[in-house]
Amino acid sequence: MSLSRPARCVFCNFSRPASAAPRVARRQFHPSPFRLNDAPKPKDSEAPAAPNAKKSAKEGRQMTLNDITRTMRPEFVKRYTEEEKAALQEVYSAKQMEAILAGEEAIDPKDLADQFGVRSDPMRLKYLDDFSHIEPGVDKHVRAPQSNSDYRQQLKSTEELVADFAKYITELPEDADSVHWINFLETNRLTVGKEEAELAPHSALAPDLFQADERLDEGVELSDEEAVVKTESGASAEERLRPRDTLEKFEPPLARLIEFTGLSSKYISNLSVKTLVQHTVTNQTRLGKVQRWYVLAIAGNQNGALGLGEAKSFEASDALKQARYRAVRNMKPILRYENRTIFGDVKGKVGAMDLVLMSRPPGFGLRCQSLIYEMCRAAGISDLAARVNGSRNKMNTVKAAYEALMSQRDPEDVARGRGKKLVDVRKVYYSGKWN
Amino acid sequence: MSLSNLSHVISHLNNVNKARLALTSIPNTKLHLKLCLALQNDGLVSAVVRGGTRPPAPHQLLGIPAANDEKIGLEPVTQTNVADRRLWLGLKYWRTEPVLGKMQMVSTPKKRVTINLKGLRKVCQGYDAPFVRGLRSPGESLYVSTDKGIMEARECVEKKSGGMVLCRVENH
Repeated sequence: MSLSRPARCVFCNFSRPASAAPRVARRQFHPSPFRLNDAPKPKDSEAPAAPNAKKSAKEGRQMTLNDITRTMRPEFVKRYTEEEKAALQEVYSAKQMEAILAGEEAIDPKDLADQFGVRSDPMRLKYLDDFSHIEPGVDKHVRAPQSNSDYRQQLKSTEELVADFAKYITELPEDADSVHWINFLETNRLTVGKEEAELAPHSALAPDLFQADERLDEGVELSDEEAVVKTESGASAEERLRPRDTLEKFEPPLARLIEFTGLSSKYISNLSVKTLVQHTVTNQTRLGKVQRWYVLAIAGNQNGALGLGEAKSFEASDALKQARYRAVRNMKPILRYENRTIFGDVKGKVGAMDLVLMSRPPGFGLRCQSLIYEMCRAAGISDLAARVNGSRNKMNTVKAAYEALMSQRDPEDVARGRGKKLVDVRKVYYSGKWN
Repeated sequence: MSLSNLSHVISHLNNVNKARLALTSIPNTKLHLKLCLALQNDGLVSAVVRGGTRPPAPHQLLGIPAANDEKIGLEPVTQTNVADRRLWLGLKYWRTEPVLGKMQMVSTPKKRVTINLKGLRKVCQGYDAPFVRGLRSPGESLYVSTDKGIMEARECVEKKSGGMVLCRVENH
């Protein structure tokens, strides 16, 4: 029994979850979402693990859910030795220990070894936990009992405080130092009434999820770039967390974009951003013609998000940059059928421009004009046909195509509106996987 | 079978949907009634009730009797009152959008469009048939008057009968 795995107790053998979930039944006729492909799952080591798992990672290799599932054998189920019990006592509270021992007492290890199995039910835990810590947000809040409150509680008056101080002075030993004074400041009560009411008052409010210096991604490994920035900016945790420090090295427009969207600079640079329309526009004033550059750009993540950005500026480069950043900023999810085409035929109309986008079968490709082609590429659509009627204005084509892509109706929504149940037979036929 | 009256009903329903009304009435004919029942069957309309010039009691529209509702039965249709009967329709909305999308006539008084089973199969698969565009968008439906009653195109294919195409309901 190692300290890194203190949870190998009778309960936890049962509650230790299995990582290999059974496949969804072949013909599951209900609309609840299930896993649709066999894309590689995130590694278990990336999943949030219990504090003890983190500790063990420092000592050696980290045990993952998969490891435990694989290595667990019925022979491992034995009664605790005295050393193991002592080790457990360091981690678990007295009450928890009582429960663990009672459990061990109640169940015969032979029976347990016979009936040993890894949980596969939907309610199983999907992360590693030895239940030695109270997790805020998951576990029941630990609150002070209601009897701690005292309605006669009052702040001490000046005289009472002076009396306290006088008592402290009179009781001061001869070799007193600053420790005594600090001790007095910390232990001296400020209220009159029940002691518990001041020290651990009862509150109806839920306790805070995080302590002052805690945050959610604590312990998550930083990318090299971020880590460098953080170590450069100083040791203090609060200082390191200030986003301004990390943003300073970018030029102001990009920094603003990062701040606004919350995307990392790496992610933004990996987006497919394309300038589709670029020309000058002229404003006729009484002072003469004022020429400016107009740029229309698109941005997409090639996985169902697309944004349009337009900008005007006296400098072409300014307009270009602004339009591209605005496109990133305006990225919105678009509906895709099977991650390759659109749902049905959609129409878009801007000005005298009128277009239809049509869904097509797999392998059809993008048979449409260049601007719509680029938009589909950026959005991650691979099968589509388009017909552009009326005017062929480039700017309006892009806008109309965007409008058309956005105007798709989700069949699930249509079915909900009609009070019907919808099943994609293609999904069911291929057992939920087609790519 | 007056298609011109039907086209009036269809444009009335389009207007009512734009105005986001919850209840409306249309003239009472056998054609309108059957079409409305087909719409109700597809969940596009919440209620179809044959009443008088005043709207029927709420429980007749909702189908849920309330404790404070008076027990008013529907007035039976007689020779004396048949002329002022109207069909009261309860309209549906989902996320502020009408569930019943834009309706359009396919047959017109001047040009009646009939379709056989083979053509209907193609239409249901998304291909065009003469004078009838394929059903390609999610939730698009087509209503056909057959000798087995007025039905949705897919139901017609199931029951293997063609007929006269009345109207289509689009979702945009």
